[in-house]
Amino acid sequence: MVSSLNKEAYKLVHQKITWFAPLFVLILMIIMGILMNGSEQKLLIMTSYDSSEWILFALVVVSSTIFTLEFQDNTILTMLYKSDNKLQVYGSKLILVFIYNIVLHILAIIFTIVLQLTPLNVHLSWLMINQYQQTLLSNLLMTILVDIVSSTLIISIIFFTSCIVNLNAIVITLNLMIVFLGQSASSSLMIANLKYIDIIKWNPLNMINLTKQYYNYGSYHIVSHLSNSQLLIGNIFYSLLFFSLGYVIFKKKKF
Amino acid sequence: MLSVKDVTTFIQGKKIIHDISLDIKPGEIVGLIGPNGTGKTTFMKTVLGLTKFTGSISIDKQRITENNHQALKKVGALIEHPAIYPFLTGRQNLLLYSESNKDLEEIISTLKMENFIDKKSKNYSLGMKQKLGIGIALLNNPELVILDEPMNGLDIESTIMIRDVIRKYANQGCMFLISSHILGELQKVMTQVVLLRSGKVILNRSMDLLNQDSSKKYYVQVDKKNLIENLLSRNNIDYQWVDNCLEIDSQDVKLMQDLIFQNGFYLNRLEPEKLNLEEKVIRILSDKEGSNNEE
Repeated sequence: MVSSLNKEAYKLVHQKITWFAPLFVLILMIIMGILMNGSEQKLLIMTSYDSSEWILFALVVVSSTIFTLEFQDNTILTMLYKSDNKLQVYGSKLILVFIYNIVLHILAIIFTIVLQLTPLNVHLSWLMINQYQQTLLSNLLMTILVDIVSSTLIISIIFFTSCIVNLNAIVITLNLMIVFLGQSASSSLMIANLKYIDIIKWNPLNMINLTKQYYNYGSYHIVSHLSNSQLLIGNIFYSLLFFSLGYVIFKKKKF
Repeated sequence: MLSVKDVTTFIQGKKIIHDISLDIKPGEIVGLIGPNGTGKTTFMKTVLGLTKFTGSISIDKQRITENNHQALKKVGALIEHPAIYPFLTGRQNLLLYSESNKDLEEIISTLKMENFIDKKSKNYSLGMKQKLGIGIALLNNPELVILDEPMNGLDIESTIMIRDVIRKYANQGCMFLISSHILGELQKVMTQVVLLRSGKVILNRSMDLLNQDSSKKYYVQVDKKNLIENLLSRNNIDYQWVDNCLEIDSQDVKLMQDLIFQNGFYLNRLEPEKLNLEEKVIRILSDKEGSNNEE
């Protein structure tokens, strides 16, 4: 497993997209800072300059690439026979993308702290009490933690779709649609089927609301019809489900 | 030793490989040949534990299954196309799988890749990619190397070099399983030939035996031509003269030899007709078809 992880890490650090992604996140955070200058300052910090959206965008591209390019370049065959079993190949990719996800979130915290020091923003005390009777710093860290859970669901969907479709462009497009249109699709589905809302509210697309609902409970709870903890459980459940389904497909795949 | 026993492979419910048994001993170079779509690549993938199969495959008595590749630690392979990451240089592609720097440098120098190894592999020609793919397969002193169409895209110089490299590794005890549609090239290196058709082994023979088996005619050079002609005619042995040699069916060779020696004549030369591998394969295939039709 260690050997497979090392191989995956070696490939990841040698891809330009791995290094461009944090830069891309930083640029968009700065743009967000400029656009929102002076208004909603506490929300901006709590959401680390809306980094979750940009992190998801970067994750979709990197995660899709990490899997589908293996199929496109035929390198998956070498990876498979050089590993002890298929679980090792699948697991090492999963662990690596998860680590990359955490790294992107840590960088988002660092970028937020640095941006907060620039003249771009109104300087606020990190220890001031904000939402959930917590300090602004706690709010930021909790939002990041919640977003790690939420983005893990997206990673699991990417792994699942990558195992079904081997074309990078299709997987990226499909997952970007899930990330950016999934919430609206879920909400429309619930509005159209109010009778069955108690069942439909548990659909996986609704779980993507977790991060947004955490920092804006009032606006999003009426959309998701679930509490924060229910969304959290839903995220964990669907992440495990999609990772497992992805593995079953990967295991049965003809190479 | 690679030991394949009664291996049957199913892909999407379809039987692709039928009860194949095969042994490869250290130093042997086995050529896997057969028409397109006959299951050569599938068989190679099966040996690499990449497909579901029944029967058993083992290397040095260590079993290979779809979910246990422990025995493949000392196996290198090039299947279908070279498995290369385009965003890495050739050296980085090798480094990804290499266990020792010394081995890596040796591969680069053996395969004469110094000129391009530090360039991004996305810019490589087909021949360069092929060399790199073979290089990856030869890393870490493998006990078994599986090469699927290794000469694809290689120029004559590189083809000769790869042939020499294969012989060098085989002399060091490495086993090879190679498929190629360029049969003439394969003929120059292989020690054993396995002919597949519709997923079945229809011939598994050493090259020496194959040379004998496939020769239907023998060429004989003799003195006293008239006397010998007379002798053969009297004993109903068909012959014809080709380039000053007698051409005799292989089934009559023994009788002809006995007659010549009993009558005090001498043979200056007796040799089977020389067929290239392609001609031998075609002959064996047509013989098999003939015998099947008779049945």
